[in-house]
Amino acid sequence: MTALTDAPTTRVRLTVGTQAALITLLVGAICLALEPVAPWLVKWPAAWVLPATDWVGSILTTVLTTMKPVARGFSALMAYPMDWANFVLNGTPWPLVIGIVTAVGWYLGGLPMAALGFLGLSFVLASGYWSESMNTLALVAVSVPLALLVGGAIGVLANEFPRIKNALQAVLDIMQTVPTFAYLTPLLLLFGFGPVVGLIASAIYAAPPMARNVLLGLERVESEVKEAAVMAGGTRLQQLFQVEIPSASTQIMVGVNQCLMAALSMVIIAAVIGGFNDIGWEVLLTMRKAQFGEALIAGMVIVVFAMVIDRMSGALATERKRYDTRVVWGLLGFAVIFTVAFWTRLPVPSDLTLLDPVSDALDNGLTEFTRSNGAALDAFKNNAMFYVLLPLRIGLDQAVLPFTWGFAWTTNMSLGLFLAGAAIGAVLAWRGNVTGGLMVLIGFGMLETGISNLPWPFVLTGAAALGWVAGGPRLAIMAAGLLSTILISGLWDRALLSLYLSGAAVFACAVVGGLIGLLSAISPLAWKIVRPICDMLQTIPLFVFLIPVLMVFQIGEFSAFLAICAYAIVPMIRYTRHGLVNTPEEMMEAAIASGATQFQIMRDVKAPYAAPTILLGLNQTILYAFAMLVIAALIGTTGLGQSIYLALGKADIGLGISAGAAMAILALVADRLVQGFAEERRKALGL
Amino acid sequence: MTDANTPAIACQDLWQVFGPGAEKALTDALARSGNDADAASKILRETGYVPAVQDANFDVKEGELFVIMGLSGSGKSTLIRCISQLLDGTGGQIRIHGEDIMTASKQRLIELRRKKLGMVFQHFGLFPHMTVLDNVAYPLRVQGVSRKERLKKAAEVIELVGLEGREDRYPRELSGGQRQRVGIARSLVADCEVWFLDEPFSALDPLIRRQLQDEFLEIQAKLKTTIVFITHDINEALKLADRIAIMRDGKIVQIGTPTDIVLNPVDDYVREFSKDVAKGQHARVASVMHQGTEGVGPDDPGLRTDMTLDAALAHCMELYEPVPVRDKEGNLVGMVNPADLAAALQVEEA
Ligand SMILES: Nc1ncnc2c1ncn2[C@@H]1O[C@H](COP(=O)(O)OP(=O)(O)OP(=O)(O)O)[C@@H](O)[C@H]1O
Ligand SMILES: [Mg+2]
Repeated sequence: MTALTDAPTTRVRLTVGTQAALITLLVGAICLALEPVAPWLVKWPAAWVLPATDWVGSILTTVLTTMKPVARGFSALMAYPMDWANFVLNGTPWPLVIGIVTAVGWYLGGLPMAALGFLGLSFVLASGYWSESMNTLALVAVSVPLALLVGGAIGVLANEFPRIKNALQAVLDIMQTVPTFAYLTPLLLLFGFGPVVGLIASAIYAAPPMARNVLLGLERVESEVKEAAVMAGGTRLQQLFQVEIPSASTQIMVGVNQCLMAALSMVIIAAVIGGFNDIGWEVLLTMRKAQFGEALIAGMVIVVFAMVIDRMSGALATERKRYDTRVVWGLLGFAVIFTVAFWTRLPVPSDLTLLDPVSDALDNGLTEFTRSNGAALDAFKNNAMFYVLLPLRIGLDQAVLPFTWGFAWTTNMSLGLFLAGAAIGAVLAWRGNVTGGLMVLIGFGMLETGISNLPWPFVLTGAAALGWVAGGPRLAIMAAGLLSTILISGLWDRALLSLYLSGAAVFACAVVGGLIGLLSAISPLAWKIVRPICDMLQTIPLFVFLIPVLMVFQIGEFSAFLAICAYAIVPMIRYTRHGLVNTPEEMMEAAIASGATQFQIMRDVKAPYAAPTILLGLNQTILYAFAMLVIAALIGTTGLGQSIYLALGKADIGLGISAGAAMAILALVADRLVQGFAEERRKALGL
Repeated sequence: MTDANTPAIACQDLWQVFGPGAEKALTDALARSGNDADAASKILRETGYVPAVQDANFDVKEGELFVIMGLSGSGKSTLIRCISQLLDGTGGQIRIHGEDIMTASKQRLIELRRKKLGMVFQHFGLFPHMTVLDNVAYPLRVQGVSRKERLKKAAEVIELVGLEGREDRYPRELSGGQRQRVGIARSLVADCEVWFLDEPFSALDPLIRRQLQDEFLEIQAKLKTTIVFITHDINEALKLADRIAIMRDGKIVQIGTPTDIVLNPVDDYVREFSKDVAKGQHARVASVMHQGTEGVGPDDPGLRTDMTLDAALAHCMELYEPVPVRDKEGNLVGMVNPADLAAALQVEEA
């Protein structure tokens, strides 16, 4: 945005951005100034809170109770395939399972994939978690076909009836932004305790990616291919099933891959309900008992499954060579012979303790490590907490205490801080960047107050202002409107706490991830190292991120922060690099031809061109952070995530759903704002 | 079937307008302009609609090879998409062998496409997941023809287009020209009566193009189908066409025989197309001949009505007086002035 000075008068017209920043600043300042006389301007009074949570709770309980008989019936029905899958997976001798997986691996991807399958499952066997793993797999094996069927049907329907497409897409958006734990509470009430809840939850969670990819794939089928099917005289069903769906198979396979991964991830999360002796439960249990060595091994088992499933189903989505089927039969035959030959001497997998020494060593090593480095680790953690996270959360005026910072915060210091902010802002404004100056001032104000103590009118105005700049009045109204529902329903304080923690994590990810992305864009060597790490991080189910941070930093906000960062940083890295690497050649050549240095090219050509892509990466990072925030509640966060988790424990549907909805609203608003900015940048670049 | 004079394709006041609520926009525009097509088009364009086909009126006779030409974006593909009902058509009428297909039921359209209509697509439109053989056999598959039978038929057509030996390849493993042949084979497999070809040869190099054009004429001579053929290439049009329609911005500006188009272009746009054509090789003596034989000179160089101008000129290089012209049977049908012959070749310089 540039300042428009088209009027004949000399007065500079304020741009939308400047106006928005100015209004936000004024609202914030007024609220803070009037706080002594009108405290309600900062804190929404408890008396004004509508008991929305209770209403939601009682309405939902009534609805769910009436639906309960049907659900219980369904639950009983689902018990059959589950028992069956369980029986098959647990009943099949382990050499046969390994043989089959290895053979499938060979068929899909040749030697590397066969090796991955073989080694991966051997590790699982050696870990002694074989039967727990098979229980988990049984859940996945039932939930995935369900999700594929439902997701596929939704995708096809959306393609057939363009009218319902937008509505469906909105529903899919919401299904994916509502945090995973939030599903579980109502499902518990509906289906009762037991693995069926995990099954349904994972099917619900895994269906949207399938639906999306099916729709995308069908839409991307070349129009002439569709027309050729029409001209051949095919009926609609023939066109769909003989031409369009097979033509879209690559994209659909991407959907299958994502569906599998989502189902696995959710099945493991659903372990918190308990009642099913699966691998997720094992991790939870060992984590609670602080047996980190074992927790890590169990976590590794999950990662191994994730890797095997991801790589093998991923191979479906890429064009592949056909591998010799004789090897497949050979492997299977060998497995059968092996099983029969050693039938009486096959060890029971759960008796295997091959990795116990490893986990013991890990435990000892960890104890040793924390003992010898305890001081340094504590210092690291405390510094981050006291000097960064805490001030962000409650503001400098409360966080600066003699016993941490060595001095107490005084009113003069506040004044000094504001003056400093004003000075920097003024310099920026004087150099032509009025909006930037105002933003600096707002930033300093937020630093002084702390995110969890921000006056609510300021937050609402700020969101509306951002919405206005990013997408016009509709977005502004949407952002402010959605956020006020959180305010009115009394979840505001918790929402701000969630905002603070995810905000801090997103900020850290944006800076660190952006830098790593930049480095990877500049140096191919760096990308060679970073890329497999990114792949790895994206394959690991959310839950597993908790183990290592917990091992080193114990329960607490800082561990949660690290876990969120570790999970959410990947998109930022990927998109930043992608955006920077893919600058059109002719733009680069133009810049080089005009004699720009490497740095100037980066600043003037690549960075602006990559901005929309990087913003999309930021968007993904925000969504990832919100998703992880809820999981991180397991290891100690405050805010909405904690409420959702507690609600699950107390089977409090009202709280669970409301807090889940609030979380989804935060994610949705952030998503739309960032997308709005990305869209605006794209338009500005004429893309 | 209807009687022999029913045209294979008849288009009346055919419009295809793109944009939301196009039908209403078209009716309004026509009402406002008092049914004047050009004015209505202008109104539509100004209000953000795209009139891709504007008021098309023409017949294609049974067995005729009808070529559509025009610059890129002039609406050629859209026109044949309308006729084959891949697009609904915003206004007007289309009859195929007398049957109104704009109002035909879905079921009837499927039937028509199975039995009567064939189409070759500009970008091939091959099914990426099927082999060449399966691609070609697909129109039979939807009709429920047994696998053995349809593969046999498909193999025959594949041989016809010269692709034998490549039956088991996938489209991505073929060159552009080979893909185009697959498209042609697929449209031929179900024995259509009306055949639409959208720039079938433009992806090919000149050599293969000429070869395929010849093969195409052979196929056409054998099968006697009615053909609507789109091309960019005036020489191709002149070589193949019985009649040529020239489109500009959605409007058909001229329809005529190749000679008409070359010798009597209605405007500069049409003239531009035939500018580089060696006219003497395409125009025939008939087009410059006068009826009657009064004032015919003593020399008879033996001109025939179907001789090209070049050939005729070569016969009467040194002659100045009008010479007689005979038809195929040798009957005297008219005369031509050698000066007119030379002048006809020179329209361009004027
Ligand atoms: N589905 C559509 N929606 C909107 N406009 C369209 C659509 N299809 C075609 N058009 C427009 O209609 C006009 C005619 O397009 P058409 O494809 O018929 O051109 P063409 O003569 O076949 O060109 P080419 O020689 O490049 O194939 C173009 O301006 C095009 O942009
Ligand atoms: Mg075209």
